[in-house]
Amino acid sequence: MTDLVRAGAAVAVSGGESLLEVRGVSKAFGPTEALVEVDFDVRAGEIHALVGQNGSGKSTLVKILAGVHDPDGGSIALEGEEFDPRRPGEARLRGLRFVHQDLGLVDSLDVVENLALGRGYDVRFPRRISWRHERSQAHAALADLGYELDVRSLVGSLRASERTGIAIARALDGWESAARLLVLDEPTASLPEAETARLFDVVRTIRARGVGVIYVSHHLDEVLALADRVTILRDGARVGTFDAEDLDHDRMVELIVGRGSVTAGGDGALPPGPTEHEPSLVAQNLSGAVLRGVSLRVGAGEVVGVAGLTGSGREEIGPALFGAAGRSGSVAVAGRVVPAERPDLAIAAGLGFVPADRKSLGLVASMVVRENVTLADLRPYRRGGMLRHRKERSDVDAWLAMLDVRPRDQTLGAMRLSGGNQQKVLLARWLRIQPRVLVLDEPTQGVDVGAKAEIHRRIVAAARDGAGVLVCSTDSAELVRVCDRVLIMQRGEIGAELLGRDISEERIDRLCLS
Amino acid sequence: MAESAEQTTRARRRFHFGVDRFSGIYIWGLIILIFALWVPETFLTTTTLRVLASDQAVTGMVAVGLVVPLACGVFDLSIGHVLGFTLVATTWMNVHTDINMAVVTLMMVAIGVAVGLANALMVVKIGVNSFIATLAMSSILQAFILFVSNNRQIAGEFSDEFKRFGRNVVLGLPQPFFYLLALTLIIWFVLEYTRSGRYAYATGGNPAAARLAGVRTDRFVTVSLVVSAAVAAFAGVVLAAKLGSASLTAGPPKLIPAYTAVFLGSTQIKRGRINAWGTLVAVYLLATGVKGLQLSGTEVWVDDLFNGVTLALAVGIAVYRRRGDSPGGLAP
Repeated sequence: MTDLVRAGAAVAVSGGESLLEVRGVSKAFGPTEALVEVDFDVRAGEIHALVGQNGSGKSTLVKILAGVHDPDGGSIALEGEEFDPRRPGEARLRGLRFVHQDLGLVDSLDVVENLALGRGYDVRFPRRISWRHERSQAHAALADLGYELDVRSLVGSLRASERTGIAIARALDGWESAARLLVLDEPTASLPEAETARLFDVVRTIRARGVGVIYVSHHLDEVLALADRVTILRDGARVGTFDAEDLDHDRMVELIVGRGSVTAGGDGALPPGPTEHEPSLVAQNLSGAVLRGVSLRVGAGEVVGVAGLTGSGREEIGPALFGAAGRSGSVAVAGRVVPAERPDLAIAAGLGFVPADRKSLGLVASMVVRENVTLADLRPYRRGGMLRHRKERSDVDAWLAMLDVRPRDQTLGAMRLSGGNQQKVLLARWLRIQPRVLVLDEPTQGVDVGAKAEIHRRIVAAARDGAGVLVCSTDSAELVRVCDRVLIMQRGEIGAELLGRDISEERIDRLCLS
Repeated sequence: MAESAEQTTRARRRFHFGVDRFSGIYIWGLIILIFALWVPETFLTTTTLRVLASDQAVTGMVAVGLVVPLACGVFDLSIGHVLGFTLVATTWMNVHTDINMAVVTLMMVAIGVAVGLANALMVVKIGVNSFIATLAMSSILQAFILFVSNNRQIAGEFSDEFKRFGRNVVLGLPQPFFYLLALTLIIWFVLEYTRSGRYAYATGGNPAAARLAGVRTDRFVTVSLVVSAAVAAFAGVVLAAKLGSASLTAGPPKLIPAYTAVFLGSTQIKRGRINAWGTLVAVYLLATGVKGLQLSGTEVWVDDLFNGVTLALAVGIAVYRRRGDSPGGLAP
């Protein structure tokens, strides 16, 4: 209650005055310019959406505000005074708060303890935590945002929207100072659609308190429903800042994608068209956490791309096909059924899978490069129950040479290689066993330009040799370069399909956003 | 260009290997030298050699058996009690039944397998943390030890044949030492030179990645827990033959020395990887040091101090030197 009174006062005092002013901020990573002289401002009591495609610079901007990256140039001011996010504790002290996409909650602690992670506990003599006091505080903080829940329940047992609420409450709460500006980074990415409405209410409540909100999202409908102003970034530069009332969906797509106005190809869902390729992989009715009855086929010698926003089901396709994650529906490779959750049988049927997270799901850190390359199939080196190390060594050396892995040292620990070389090692693992169908999830994420080109060459070469290849990627340019066909995921379904010459970055991006 | 770089890294590595991989053997030599100079009349005798080889054979077997689950990334804390139980049960069978000791030995190993399977059931099927599951198993086995023995030391005369099984001297060394040697050879071979061994290390290194590379990680964990328990069960039989009676407290205290040896051993031979030969070297390095201290007439507590300090130093130095330089990962 007191909070609401304070909120009202805040609006009266600072109604619409400028909170954050970013002037001419630039940031380059090596030769890549992530941000080019970007201006950006947020007023008190407004929801300001920050939109753009992957790689447009919005996460770089957020990370600069969070002090993760050091800007190369430009200035940042908070409430009229200079602000240096790199100074530890400065952001919290000045009232700048973040809720990151992964929320940062500890599932095995209860709500009270999670809230206390941010600010610590109030202690009574002799340094005793007064749990009753903590509980009532936690309850009040959540009730202010419209949540009524048992603060003693473990966070892991709560619904997605409640978890988001706790993360927000924690960000707003703080003994150093009141929150002035809240950054929400993709808050709906892990939220079921039905629960987003509740989040919107929370965000509006926060705005009513006079707090400025930066709302980063891919979902244009959300932005239109919620935001007061919208800043659009493209290729690291600011396209413009607009009042949300002046925008509609199509206009926004136009501004985000750029490149003139071409009518979008492939309106609506095309049926998986007949191709001249014989089907290697046939998946029917795949359903999972996000996927809803997806059917697709990949022909021998064909490279099929899967595009889609985060949360569209794109990231679930690879694991579901390979059986790395639970799923329903059927998958068959060259007529052989691949059961769910049995990667060993998937490999036996002729599937290969390069996961998106190469560090935790791809490489074995405690093993050397050689062992990582040959892990998927050691049969060629077996003689009388023994491994023939010499043949294994010469084989691996040939693969490292072919993919130009540097240094070409198979006795190095896998984690000592750079990202691009790690990815090549994983690619070698799967190409070596000549799968009928190779599924790659984000094959060039965090990979340097040279390695990227090499990986693309290998993908195309594998298809030319008769393998079916499925590439799931957020990098539209990559899909344009390697794919014969691109499927676009929308809300857990295949929303559209682009064929041959119709494939362009612009079309992919447009369809992803619609 | 690429080749010259390769050559320099290789040369550098060879140099490192000499000092790091076999440091344990040098230190072992140093320990022998120190005590040879300090107490030559008692330390440099065949009796010392024989006592060392014999006393450590049982601990050594438990430790080398433990290499397998630790390589697969799971703890087995039940081995000390498995050994304690089969020690008591073997003696009890001898006193109370007429069953041939060869059959008894097989029965004991079968009990070990059963314990391993029960551990695996909890760890793999139900998903209990291996540390907790095998700790629970230890306590259950302790109950069985007390039940079978009625909380009393069991003594009875073993047949000469069975006594030879634990005390016979071959080539100047006690027979159990050769069981240990054979076991080490087998486990080294399997882990180092077979597909299964590679998959076992992959399972221990990154279970999620191993599974996605087609490794049946559940099976490797199961088999590894069966191996460690079966080996410990066999070691219990050997200890019974060696002692000739069943002490209720002889088994469980073997647990900590076994873990000490495996972790110390992981800094040896195959750096940063839990391995059988390294474990064997560690067992004898520690035992030699302790024996020397005993013969020099130091206080009893010095033994434990020596074990603890050696482990902390060896692993500490290895981890410090390898910081950020994988392959690493000493513990599961």
